[in-house]
Amino acid sequence: MLIKFFLISSIIFSNFTISESLYKFDSAEDEKRFYSLIKEIRCPKCTSGSLASSNAPVSEDIKSKIIELIKEGKSDQEIKEFLSDRFGNQVLYNPGLNKDTYFLWFAPVLFLILVLLTFFFRKKT
Amino acid sequence: MTIFIRLIIISTALFFFSFFYLYINDDKYYPGADFTISEMPNFKLKDLYSERLFNIKDLEGTYLINVWASWCITCRVEHNFLTKLDSKNIPIIGLNYKDEKKDAINWINRFGDPYKFIIHDYKGELALDLGVTGAPETFLLNDGKIIAHYRGEVNEMIWDDVFKPIIKKENLFNVN
Repeated sequence: MLIKFFLISSIIFSNFTISESLYKFDSAEDEKRFYSLIKEIRCPKCTSGSLASSNAPVSEDIKSKIIELIKEGKSDQEIKEFLSDRFGNQVLYNPGLNKDTYFLWFAPVLFLILVLLTFFFRKKT
Repeated sequence: MTIFIRLIIISTALFFFSFFYLYINDDKYYPGADFTISEMPNFKLKDLYSERLFNIKDLEGTYLINVWASWCITCRVEHNFLTKLDSKNIPIIGLNYKDEKKDAINWINRFGDPYKFIIHDYKGELALDLGVTGAPETFLLNDGKIIAHYRGEVNEMIWDDVFKPIIKKENLFNVN
């Protein structure tokens, strides 16, 4: 009976012992920033998956680094720059507007304008 | 007007066709290679065999930096080629990545040591600053600047197509 009680209670309470947060933050705001950042940054070792979805050693290292940078008072933009300098622009899910991405950002708009032009100026038969 | 529309349709199709044709046929394109020039980050890490501390000043000159680990199978495949480079007097520095000291030393004793010295990066601190995503990776360092970075195994083909052109261009190592 006692053993049964012990086993059942250990099963019930086991999730409390491991539910303690893996990462330590100074404030709830920092924690919120961390969890939104790791969703916006790609794991450099994965085909396509965010840091949040990855347990790869390099992702764990990057996550610890992000916490360190947050504690140092770095802004989200500075953290993203820190990582894209090291791992390339492909780590950012939301690509910035620069000379490499003009085509990416404006091609759809150009294409739409062309389609609209041909639509409005077509000859009615 | 219809000519104009036809022209647009044909040129769009031609553009995409030629773009992908050139992209696929470019056999000198290696996705692991990166030639962005960046500063070598500073660091403070121990030697694999002793308590000696290394920093950026120990890396003055021109070197290959090879990131390796005893748990990395591709590193074992790559090792023979690094030994060959060493025999051609190409100076290689080892960056032992996330590895137990004992395992790393055993590995070197078993397969040979092509490195001038080995920096022990147990936590992967310098590796993170270098943008390493795993092992093996190789950097070409010249006067404090990283001028080439290759993610993956360096072999004869990668050496000839990725490293040799930049080495010749910058006139390093007296390689022919």
